[in-house]
Amino acid sequence: MKNSKFKKVLALLTAAVMIVAAFASCSGSDSGASNAVYRTLDEIRESGTVKIGVFSDKNPFGYVDENGDYQGYDVYFAERLAEDLGVEVEYVSTEAASRIEYLQTGKVDIILANFTVTDERKEEVDFALPYMNVALGVVSPDSRVIESLDDIEDSDEVIVISGTTAETYLTENYPDIKLKKFDAYAQAKTALENGEGVAWANDNTEVIAYALQNSGYTVGIPSLGSNDTIAPAVSKGNKTLLNWINEEIESLGEENFFHKDYEETLVDTYGTDYEEELVVEGGVVSE
Amino acid sequence: MQALGIEVLLKGSNFLRLLGGLWVALKISLIAVLFSIVLGILFGIVMTYKNPLVKIISRIYLEIVRIMPQMVLLFIVFFGTTRMFGWNLDAELAAIIVFTFWGTAEMGDLVRGAVSNIPKHQYESSYALGLSKAQTYYHIVIPQTLRRLIPLSINLVTRMIKTTSLVMMIGVVEALKVTQQIIEANRMVAPNAAFGLYLTVFILYFLACWPISLLATYLEKKWSA
Amino acid sequence: MAEKLLTIKHLKKSYGDNLILKDFNLTVNKGEVIVVIGPSGCGKSTLLRCINGLEPIQGGEIKLRGEIIDGKAKNIAEIRQKIGMVFQSYELFPHKTVLQNIILAPIKVQKRDKAEVIKEAEQLLEKVGLLDKKDSYPRQLSGGQKQRVAIVRALCMHPEIMLFDEVTAALDPEMVREVLDTILDLAKQGSTMIIVTHEMSFAKAVSDRVLFLDKGEIVEEDIPEELFENPKTERARRFFNTFEYDAVKHHTKTSNQ
Repeated sequence: MKNSKFKKVLALLTAAVMIVAAFASCSGSDSGASNAVYRTLDEIRESGTVKIGVFSDKNPFGYVDENGDYQGYDVYFAERLAEDLGVEVEYVSTEAASRIEYLQTGKVDIILANFTVTDERKEEVDFALPYMNVALGVVSPDSRVIESLDDIEDSDEVIVISGTTAETYLTENYPDIKLKKFDAYAQAKTALENGEGVAWANDNTEVIAYALQNSGYTVGIPSLGSNDTIAPAVSKGNKTLLNWINEEIESLGEENFFHKDYEETLVDTYGTDYEEELVVEGGVVSE
Repeated sequence: MQALGIEVLLKGSNFLRLLGGLWVALKISLIAVLFSIVLGILFGIVMTYKNPLVKIISRIYLEIVRIMPQMVLLFIVFFGTTRMFGWNLDAELAAIIVFTFWGTAEMGDLVRGAVSNIPKHQYESSYALGLSKAQTYYHIVIPQTLRRLIPLSINLVTRMIKTTSLVMMIGVVEALKVTQQIIEANRMVAPNAAFGLYLTVFILYFLACWPISLLATYLEKKWSA
Repeated sequence: MAEKLLTIKHLKKSYGDNLILKDFNLTVNKGEVIVVIGPSGCGKSTLLRCINGLEPIQGGEIKLRGEIIDGKAKNIAEIRQKIGMVFQSYELFPHKTVLQNIILAPIKVQKRDKAEVIKEAEQLLEKVGLLDKKDSYPRQLSGGQKQRVAIVRALCMHPEIMLFDEVTAALDPEMVREVLDTILDLAKQGSTMIIVTHEMSFAKAVSDRVLFLDKGEIVEEDIPEELFENPKTERARRFFNTFEYDAVKHHTKTSNQ
């Protein structure tokens, strides 16, 4: 009796503490915006260093080479941003799940970490103009190349990795297509090679890279679903920095900067065939 | 060697980076354990008090540590303190704070157990000799508690070293993160490097933890009554 | 006349509703050896614990040389230095050597000179035949050796009175003797002692006065010769009877022949 009462009181108290903590962090984020957690363009220039959050283990977008230096499509762009800002760059190794937090707490000035623009994220951070396209893609064996989802017959199964955009997209838009789900990349890869499915749907960068590395497979559908873009992001409200990045992206378009970036960093992985498919130049998405 | 992909470790400064990552993991856990031992002893002694308020507060603390995933604590300390108070804590410092917060609770609980395991007669013979309460704790209770605690706290160090892989979430690059970086950077040239690299990390962790557990076994034997 | 060292007046001690000592009175003179006997639960151990301030009391007063002993008072640690106590379960400090056990309190509490304390400790250990064990840890000693160290540890504080709480009860029979001999030696040197024990022949030999306690009261109090040989109360007689056995092996003699 006594003990259960104690436990109840304890549970209530714990809940109370957690609610208070949650409120504190919510209200913190509201006031955070008005308190300007971010650094303006001038403040960054004055400090002499821009802090950019990048991936450190997502080859070929952001990774660390054997000398400990950051490399990749995002990093190539980041180097140029810093150069044109006239400051040094300090890279912060971020994870997919912590990118928004880094911006909201002003721990980085810019995120350049393969950050896909979505409506939910737009509520939390400000995106600049895009510099890359992402979409879903479908790879299939050369013996029977799937070039349209209409090619998939009732008895066919399509391989997907659980929890990916591909799974969500197909489930929502093509409920009739039978999916064969796997937890890990390696399992899905083996399944395709063993013919357990007629095709494999995943991010188009992934399937393009796969087809390039494994002969006998073709990306029949290089771009599927809503065409998303990847863009730099800054803390919400950081107008000066945002505008500067946008102008920078526009002017870089004049020198075809992102095509050069692609050729330096992505061509080994994706080949030249998909350059136009993937690169967004000057912030303008071609339909 | 070729099949395991270990040769990628020999490229550039890869192996040094891996050792550097291991050092970061060890540094965070060792510093956190030192603080945890000191604070945990104080907390553990406080927990032996029969004051109901003290009991409730320590219970809440213990429950929070038990319920909250360390990842959440890391986010709260690293990002939350910036949101709430505008503090800009260094990521390693934030990690040390979280691990100390966690370690102090575990240590405190162990200390409470060890202290209440010390027979009543030890206190009484000490009081009977004219030692004050503080002297009794300092000369009799704490030294005996420490001896019982050392094997347990070494267990905590090794668990902490394992848990340090979480700190990559707040941008600290430790051994596992370096491993992932090396695997990813070489995924074209050495697609099978993952196994060999994880094996190497396993061996490195083992080499780091092995002397620590040897020390624990030695001390345990030396002090076993 | 005899110098009064310890006086206990109207002492009342209870655990909740359970009255352990009711209106207990006792005066101990300097140099006197008092043995307390009685059935278990009669309150004799509690009495010693009260004298040392280890138990809160519910009434009356205990005074050592006129100073009130109160476990909660500020000066309790100071008074306890004058009272040496040895417990049944020889509680040496397991993390300290024999010598460290002995010198801890004289150095830390009485702030005496370390070299001088060590010298004295070694002399005392010599007397009880344990000098060669001074650097051993308690776990390396036998029960009897531990108990002799505990006695030395208490003596090294130069107490005015020693309390022994069934110090041989946990010992193997062959070790009882060495401990009791040590206490007998102390008695010969004129130490003031209160001894709780079940060793009747030892009690007879060592004591100036024997108290027979039952249910928290002194039932009988006398010189040992009288109390053991010629108990006046029925309760004391019944208690002594528990130590004697009627022979049951009637044929022992014949079978031996």
